[in-house]
Amino acid sequence: MKSYEVKIQKEKLLPEAGIVEAPPPNGEQESMITGCWRVLRPVIDHEKCTMCKSCWIFCPDQAVEIIEEEITFKLKYCKGCGICANVCPVGAIERVPELDFEDGVVRLEKLF
Amino acid sequence: MGTKKFLTGLGATATAVKMADVDVITSFPIRPYTGVMMILSQMVANGELDAEFVHADGEHAQLSISHGASAAGARTFTGSSGVGVTYAFETYSPISGGRCPVQMLIADRTLDPPGDFGSEHTDALGCRDQGWIMGWAETPQEVFDNTLIYYRIGEDPQVRLPQFNCHDGYFVSHIPGEVEIPEQSQVDEFLPPYQPVHPLNPQNPVGHGPQIFPGQGPALEAMRHNAMMAAMPVIEEVIDDFGRIFGRKYAPFVEEFMTDDAEFVFFINGAHAHTARYAIKHLREKGVKVGLVKIRFIRPWPTDALQESLSKFKAVGVIETNSSFGIARGGGILAPEVCASLYDAPQKPLIASFMGGLGGEPITLNEFSFIAEKLKKIAESGKIEKPVYWLGFEE
Repeated sequence: MKSYEVKIQKEKLLPEAGIVEAPPPNGEQESMITGCWRVLRPVIDHEKCTMCKSCWIFCPDQAVEIIEEEITFKLKYCKGCGICANVCPVGAIERVPELDFEDGVVRLEKLF
Repeated sequence: MGTKKFLTGLGATATAVKMADVDVITSFPIRPYTGVMMILSQMVANGELDAEFVHADGEHAQLSISHGASAAGARTFTGSSGVGVTYAFETYSPISGGRCPVQMLIADRTLDPPGDFGSEHTDALGCRDQGWIMGWAETPQEVFDNTLIYYRIGEDPQVRLPQFNCHDGYFVSHIPGEVEIPEQSQVDEFLPPYQPVHPLNPQNPVGHGPQIFPGQGPALEAMRHNAMMAAMPVIEEVIDDFGRIFGRKYAPFVEEFMTDDAEFVFFINGAHAHTARYAIKHLREKGVKVGLVKIRFIRPWPTDALQESLSKFKAVGVIETNSSFGIARGGGILAPEVCASLYDAPQKPLIASFMGGLGGEPITLNEFSFIAEKLKKIAESGKIEKPVYWLGFEE
């Protein structure tokens, strides 16, 4: 029988069916870094923030952290969806284009 | 030794499903396949079969439940017919991409419109590119055997793919035939319990069907292709083992009947092979050198086995009980694949297709004689007048 098999180089092989290990409890999946999807970055004005934690509750990707009693965004995973800015009752979160940042996600050489 | 019973295709399927000790069955009614679920639900209710029986709210949900159950490590059985098969279309690639060896019975039914319920293979063949093992059975016995054989192929660690276990609605699903029921110990020897590799389990959580980046796509597609290609040697091995344990020896891919001195052959899949055999015996009595080539697997398509078989003949008549409007050569789905299989053969037959049995009509002796007459003319003249004939409409 002829071989119709595709030789897949070792470094290109993936787990069967692309199955991934469950992420650790902090939700950080090393094989799925999504920060590079972001077009608009959430920026918080700590003066306006009342620490109601709505953004922390509503973030669908666990990308809002509270560090030393301050709201912080996990930019490695934040997709920039803007839900946090939308639910903020005092308008403390602004969405700023990635182009405005020196380390902005614009043209990454490598996605992950 | 086992016992012999008269069973319909659906009765044979249900008996095999019970002996395969499936864990989860999902159903939604549509004729003709639905009878299998009537039998299986009775078996579960009577305590003869220890399985979860889930009645879904439609075929899409039915297949999605099977997907989840298989991902959790269950041996899973489901089925449908006609537009029920096409309603669940979205779920087929995720199930094969997730490498979940779900088995689905398709008892063929025409697609709408209008609401015809006869057998036509287009419902199943329309799903042929979704990464499922696929093939047709000709008799209730073959249905019984294929049910066990498909689980064994699909659950093989080198394959791990779902399977469309097809047979013609009514012709096979509802007409009883003699079926040899083996001992449970024979089935247990042939089909050990399913061993999933990454089952969904709260104690060891994993993510199935994750979002991926485009760069990860090619490798996953190549791996699914390799799994389908790996099924070819596995099929040969499984058919051998089946013969050893049950004493019935099938050709793995291509079965020939009365081909020793045949000049031309009918190429066929499914129930009409049964009537074709009768027609061939009749034609042979009149001195017509015709034989039969029956294909047992459509996916994986046995390119090499077909090339070896069909190269021997002068003409091949592909009998198509399906439609594909606008396909190459303007006939059915099988003929272009047969032609492609022979493209690089040093010697190849002339090929014509014959659209027959559409709408669930039987293919009559007169029609088989017509096909033989046209093939004889093609073989003698070395020329194809018409690539496609529509039986019943030809002068």
